[in-house]
Amino acid sequence: MHYGNRLTGIAALSAVVFACTGVGAQEISGGATTAAKPMSPKLAPVTQAMLDGAATNANAWLHSNGSYEQTRYYPGSQINTGNVAKLKPAFVFQTAVMESMETAPIVVNGVMFLTTSYNHVYAIDAKTGEEFWHYKHKMGPVTTFCCGPNNRGVAIEGGRLFMGTLDAKLVALDAKTGKLIWETQIADPEKGYSETMAPVVVEGKVLIGTNGGEYGIRGFVKAFDAKDGKLLWTFYTIPDKGHEGVWAENDATGRNMKRDIAAEKKMLAEKGGDFYQTLGGGVWMAPAVDKKTRTVFFVVGNPSPDLYGAIRPGDNLYTDAMVAVDLDTGKYKWHSQYVAHDVWDLDAVSPPILTQAKDASGKMVDVVLHGGKTGHVYVHERSTGKLIRFSEAMIPQENMWVLPTKEGARMLPGANGGVEWSPMAVNPKHRLAFAANLHQPMTYHVEESAYPGGSKLWLGGAFKTIPGEDQWGRLVAVNLDTGKIAWGVKTPQPLIGGVLATAGDLVFNGEGNGWFKAFDAKTGKELWKYFCGAGVNAPPVSYMLDGKQYVAVAAGGNTQLDFKRGNSVFVFALP
Amino acid sequence: MRKSSFLQFLAAVVLVAAIPATDAAAQAVKAPAKAELCFACHGPTGNSENPQYPILAGQTARYIYLQLKDFKEGRRKDPSMDPMVASLTREDMLEISQFFAAQKPAPTKFKADGAKVAAGKKKSDEVLCPMCHLGGFTGQNEIPRVAGQHYDYVVKQLKDFKARSRTNDAGNMTSVAGTLSDQDIDNLGHYIANLN
Repeated sequence: MHYGNRLTGIAALSAVVFACTGVGAQEISGGATTAAKPMSPKLAPVTQAMLDGAATNANAWLHSNGSYEQTRYYPGSQINTGNVAKLKPAFVFQTAVMESMETAPIVVNGVMFLTTSYNHVYAIDAKTGEEFWHYKHKMGPVTTFCCGPNNRGVAIEGGRLFMGTLDAKLVALDAKTGKLIWETQIADPEKGYSETMAPVVVEGKVLIGTNGGEYGIRGFVKAFDAKDGKLLWTFYTIPDKGHEGVWAENDATGRNMKRDIAAEKKMLAEKGGDFYQTLGGGVWMAPAVDKKTRTVFFVVGNPSPDLYGAIRPGDNLYTDAMVAVDLDTGKYKWHSQYVAHDVWDLDAVSPPILTQAKDASGKMVDVVLHGGKTGHVYVHERSTGKLIRFSEAMIPQENMWVLPTKEGARMLPGANGGVEWSPMAVNPKHRLAFAANLHQPMTYHVEESAYPGGSKLWLGGAFKTIPGEDQWGRLVAVNLDTGKIAWGVKTPQPLIGGVLATAGDLVFNGEGNGWFKAFDAKTGKELWKYFCGAGVNAPPVSYMLDGKQYVAVAAGGNTQLDFKRGNSVFVFALP
Repeated sequence: MRKSSFLQFLAAVVLVAAIPATDAAAQAVKAPAKAELCFACHGPTGNSENPQYPILAGQTARYIYLQLKDFKEGRRKDPSMDPMVASLTREDMLEISQFFAAQKPAPTKFKADGAKVAAGKKKSDEVLCPMCHLGGFTGQNEIPRVAGQHYDYVVKQLKDFKARSRTNDAGNMTSVAGTLSDQDIDNLGHYIANLN
């Protein structure tokens, strides 16, 4: 997916940290902690039934995106369009790590679990913000990661939390104490693998993908045993054979991609397809799970190197695609590629959402959605992956798909999207999906470059923002049944972080300038705002405790777009 | 906007590296045994006397480690270095990197030409060196610190990148160096060697 700052340049963008010793001094500021309060006796194991029923449980927030369907639709309506104007902070929790925050807190039995950059985890009282415990991951000697030392949250099951780490490990913690139960190495950080996504746990399996599409990894989704961290299955997002695909000439929306397919075929015939081992295909965000059909859905990121396509002929399957695999075995079910042989990094990152929408004949069917960096919301038939429709473009598109050049070719959207990793939300009653978009005009530059060994940013060129051109964001509501835009709200800065929708007919969304806002889901009218003092670039969550609804969001800024850093989680309630 | 972000970024990275580096320095400068292999050319504190060998003192540990690894795995070639890395394990390379990163770079005896320094700075800004190396050429991530590096060494690397006889740069330096004339390279050498 990403490369860095709004600024970009050649290698400038990625956050690649080399922590020189195992001393464990990774975090920016001191590791001091507030006096711990004894863990709440109310904290009880999270059962599979609770995880299954999360979408309708207003008391807790049990998955990073709210449920296995990942609709980010909170079922409570105590806070609603009629009273949201009175929303006030209930407390602010400050972490000891002043660096970008992308965490989606998990809340259960009045306990909130949140993460920070550099893999700290905090358990706090979800009513007062008092700290129960603080876990700091002991980072290995080498880490390689793009776009900030981020973490997007934990997954919970039973009495355990699961987190992926920057040094490409999966750790299991005791939810009561924060003590490490086991850890397992997912992949080699010296080859460019790292973890920032929140895992998903289902029936004792911990599902997790990988970052690394900017370093020439071979992407995957793996399932680990929640008991002991043993690997259960691996689905490689790059097949060893057949990654050339069908030599697609057009993207999923029917636009010609100007590929020189004859030259690609010649290259493949001459050099062979062994480059699959460094072809990229990271999976940045939590997969959706349909337990009824025992299917896992995820989207796959860009091919490596990002802009230099000559050495990776073919469609580069399954990069830039939605993929469905079997929950029990990891076996391939279907894929649907948005951009074949991508040389713009306009890949697929925002997590899939399972919901229902009308098919072409007007019949309501099970679908899976994705908000693309291209600026379209894609609606697929869930059982086959067939694209039912794609939305109107949510942000300006221009000159698609002009090929990158040495001097730089201008094309919109810029390489951050559209919709970046930011999760969308859905309000099924109003038939709307809400997407946080960016507009960043860029030029795309290509440079010949061989695989540099795994630990160096390997873009094969550069994305450059165009000086003097405005950058902005747009929160957009898209009708699921028609693909038409119902409303759009322009924001002064590009949006990154994610959206929450609630049964109170509200949409919550944060901005890089520090504002956190609530909108009327039907009209997009702004109903409330609060200034958090640092970039609000994380997905909000909501929960109910002792009869009161809370909305929580991290305000820690963002490395990728360089929004002001902070270290806090703000929690709001009605007075 | 851009620059400030890079600087902030740098700040983060430097702090990350700084804590362990200081610890290492404080624990008496005990060189790992294998580092002695390096001393003959690079000097006991990484401040080489012979300008064809790079100064390693104060270089980032990440960069030194990646170069050692590249020599070992054949992505970078040098007749003096190739036999040196053959016996090094990953742990040796990590230790050596940390050791030299913790040493203090000493000024060189190089006498820069004022006009060339000015021309080098102009070229540097034009081809966007600071975008990756940062304004003071202190480096970040896998991008090396080159401020105060030996003139001879800097010039040789730029020429090697230009000739594509050094290609372990992920494509960035070979591309930039391709646009530089011999005079540009000379000027950049003066400018960079003259930085502290």
